[in-house]
Amino acid sequence: MLLKYVVRRVLATIPVVIGVTLITFSLMHATAGSYIPGVDLNPALKPEDIEAIKRYLGLDRPLYVQYLTWIAGLVHGDFGRSMIDGSTVSSHILDRLPATLELTVTAIVLGIVISIPLGVTGALRRGSKLDHFFTGLSVGGFAVPAFWLGLILILIFSVQFEAWGLPFLPSGGVMTPGTQGGDLLDRLVHLLMPATVLSFVYISIWSRFTRSSMLEVLGQDYVRTARAKGMTERRVVYLHALRNAVIPLVTLVGLELPALVSGGLVVEVVFSWPGIGKLLYERALDSDYTTVLGITTFAALLVVFGNLLADVLYALLDPRIRYA
Amino acid sequence: MAETVLEVRDLTTHFKTPEGVVKAVDGVSFELQAGETLGIVGESGSGKSVTALSVMRLVPRPGKIVKGEVRLKNRELTALTEAEMEEIRGVSIAMIFQDPMTSLNPVFRVGWQVAEPLFIHQDKNRNRALVEAEKMLGRVGIPHPKDRARDFPHQFSGGMRQRAMIAMGLTTMPGVLIADEPTTALDVTIQAQILELLRTVNREFGTATILITHNLGVVAGMCQRVIVMYAGRIVESGPTADVFAHPKHPYTWALLKSIPRLDADQRQPLRPIEGIPPDLIDLPSGCAFHPRCAFKIDRCSRDTPSLAQVGETQMAACWVTQSGAELKDA
Amino acid sequence: MISPLPIEVDRPQEAVVPSRAARSYWQEAWGRLRHNTIGMIAGGLLLFFVLVAIFAPLLSALITHQDYQTLDLSNPFAPPLSPGHILGTDDLGRDELTRLLWGARVSMGIGFLAVGVALLIGGIVGLVAGYYGGLIDGLLMRFVDIILAVPAIFLFILMAILFKPNTVTLALIIASVGWGSIARLVRGEVLSVRSRDFMVATAALGASDGRLIFRHLFPNVLHVMIVFGSLYLGQVVLIEAALDFLGLGITPPTPSWGNMLTNAETFFFHSRTLAVFPGVTIFLTVLAANLFGNAVRDAFDPRLR
Repeated sequence: MLLKYVVRRVLATIPVVIGVTLITFSLMHATAGSYIPGVDLNPALKPEDIEAIKRYLGLDRPLYVQYLTWIAGLVHGDFGRSMIDGSTVSSHILDRLPATLELTVTAIVLGIVISIPLGVTGALRRGSKLDHFFTGLSVGGFAVPAFWLGLILILIFSVQFEAWGLPFLPSGGVMTPGTQGGDLLDRLVHLLMPATVLSFVYISIWSRFTRSSMLEVLGQDYVRTARAKGMTERRVVYLHALRNAVIPLVTLVGLELPALVSGGLVVEVVFSWPGIGKLLYERALDSDYTTVLGITTFAALLVVFGNLLADVLYALLDPRIRYA
Repeated sequence: MAETVLEVRDLTTHFKTPEGVVKAVDGVSFELQAGETLGIVGESGSGKSVTALSVMRLVPRPGKIVKGEVRLKNRELTALTEAEMEEIRGVSIAMIFQDPMTSLNPVFRVGWQVAEPLFIHQDKNRNRALVEAEKMLGRVGIPHPKDRARDFPHQFSGGMRQRAMIAMGLTTMPGVLIADEPTTALDVTIQAQILELLRTVNREFGTATILITHNLGVVAGMCQRVIVMYAGRIVESGPTADVFAHPKHPYTWALLKSIPRLDADQRQPLRPIEGIPPDLIDLPSGCAFHPRCAFKIDRCSRDTPSLAQVGETQMAACWVTQSGAELKDA
Repeated sequence: MISPLPIEVDRPQEAVVPSRAARSYWQEAWGRLRHNTIGMIAGGLLLFFVLVAIFAPLLSALITHQDYQTLDLSNPFAPPLSPGHILGTDDLGRDELTRLLWGARVSMGIGFLAVGVALLIGGIVGLVAGYYGGLIDGLLMRFVDIILAVPAIFLFILMAILFKPNTVTLALIIASVGWGSIARLVRGEVLSVRSRDFMVATAALGASDGRLIFRHLFPNVLHVMIVFGSLYLGQVVLIEAALDFLGLGITPPTPSWGNMLTNAETFFFHSRTLAVFPGVTIFLTVLAANLFGNAVRDAFDPRLR
């Protein structure tokens, strides 16, 4: 049953993959295909040489051939090369992916771990001062610009603390320069602020969502049944109710999985975190279109497969889906 | 004389809402004898469900039991702590609800849910509890109970779910079963089956049953005694046959008259009860039914009648019938 | 009906029917909104920012007597409450308050334009997809899936370096992704409204597709769009500010709250406040948009509290 569901979802994903690659291909063709920085404008190159370069890069082939070559490359993990230095996009991705994942996964886990208790408490103590406080925090947290929050935290906990002679947090990077990155404490200290900033917006959304999901579940008939069976309130809430309330949260968290690679861009830049987002930004500033496009394609494909994964997870958790 | 299993005295449950206080249950008193099936009948908003929930102390916010006593055998339920009440629920009194579609937890297997009262309350170990649950599922008429116990609720049909709910209520052999509109959400043919099941259960296990419904036909077929509720109060009670044959309250009388009959003259118009049910925040003065009553006298709008003996076996809260008058059209 | 009885009886009274005037759906919602204090304050704050944006030139002429471009290299990093500069000056001696006022133009302008375009396109696509269903729905929603699959921020950066946007084009870039979410939302709402009896009844009376969509479907879907639009406004302001901060959106000398923060870190020791003000204004604007959006949602569907 589960297998059939998975197969169906995979088949539905294929057109989306094609669409995504078509878009990135068209954008690529509109720019890098007909414009190579430095080449067209280089007075030292004769027109024949430019033609030769274009032929070498396969830019004189018919469009559909170029597209198919591009797809073939993607299947093999080839996301193109930099226009600036010729390095492969995939090598960059492999290089920087761990750092990004370290950041985003930590942020998501932090988000879940904090949101669920916050949301459940808000639901159980609905209308109380505590509930209002949490709701206010959520609403506020959602409105704070992430880059600004990061900035302020750095200014306080790094710059200002150092000026005051207090122990201070590092203002950026994965590890203290010069170390090999083996010291867990050092890494954690570096991870603290960026992960907190990134999880901030997750917590804002997820805690409110958990709260409303919990409230809805608590109003369901089967919760009343559980109480009528003489279950303690604790059991009713944490077993019968919560199990149902987290299901929609899983979907929500699942929606963030695709953003695992891209969501941290701003935070990476602010905290000089050597991840994929920061890479894209740096390359963008250098007008390295092909690298930017390659990374974007990679991320988009990740989104598509991430959604697929989320659907499957959902089916695992909610028996109604897989036995449907 | 059968023993009294449940005794309710002057039960009053109010809901505090922004628009005012809703007097959902207003001074309700009745008794339940061992082994009998008592029907509580009334339209939506009459307070029948809230009465049952009050007995179980499961009234949802913002409702509160403000007055009254509920005695189960010798224990005063309103005086118990929540922990003590949790030991009563599902063990001494079980309650099953109207909509089996939504009353079972969708993420747990049916067998586990049916077995849960056993391993929580009666300290049975999981496996033994599951075995007993399967047996009970079989007894309520679910085929292949061992296999079906491993299913999830959405894999059951409506009728089967309701059977499972009944099984869930009975596993601990409670002395009292409260069934709140158990068949209302089911197809007519399934209704008959479920009612038959309840009858069997009542016979075989001797469980005293309170059957709440708005359907007079169900009452006629199932209950030895019946209570009629209106606007949070009991307006009439007595043996079913007597109440149906000669109702002693204008509301019951009008209800019975409003039921279309196959043997009636097709040219006769139907006879609905005039008017609309009262606002529970702002009840009419005196008798709550008087604005719609065909028999009312002056006193009805001034003084609230209380339940008193009218006729040999019945009780009614009506000034008119308490003074000896008969209810009939000319 | 009931013949005279042997005992004294009045006629049963006429049923009492409430005599309040009926209110339309919209009037009821507005009534609820009006009583939502937080929502009204938020709405007021939002309006305030809009007015500031519109009247920025006038305000800066009247209050600060400055231009956002005037450099005063002799007076950089002046602290707040310096003479002539209520909120101080930035690294080039430009008046901070004036730049904040003009920055509102950018944020509000891009915000409302992007929301408007996204609502328009997304609304139409959602209505059509939901109404016609079938192949059209499938195609349109696949297209939306594709648009939404590409990470927005990457796409924005890419388009920013390709097209070197000004205010209008930046709004369009942001809207080019935003319409997708709206289309999905509207489609969902359409699907639920579409199956309601009144739609079938109206069609049975001979209403054309167009009439059904615009006169009957659309008003019932509108409230969802308004709520989303308000919340989306906050998102747009945040995204736009982030892009400006990264130097890929609106660049100096045009002041925007985002680009006023670009070098805040390096300038921290010279002026503590420079890093604060623009962030606060962004925060307040987004907060107002969010709270207002929530209030509107509660006004239309109080059950969700």
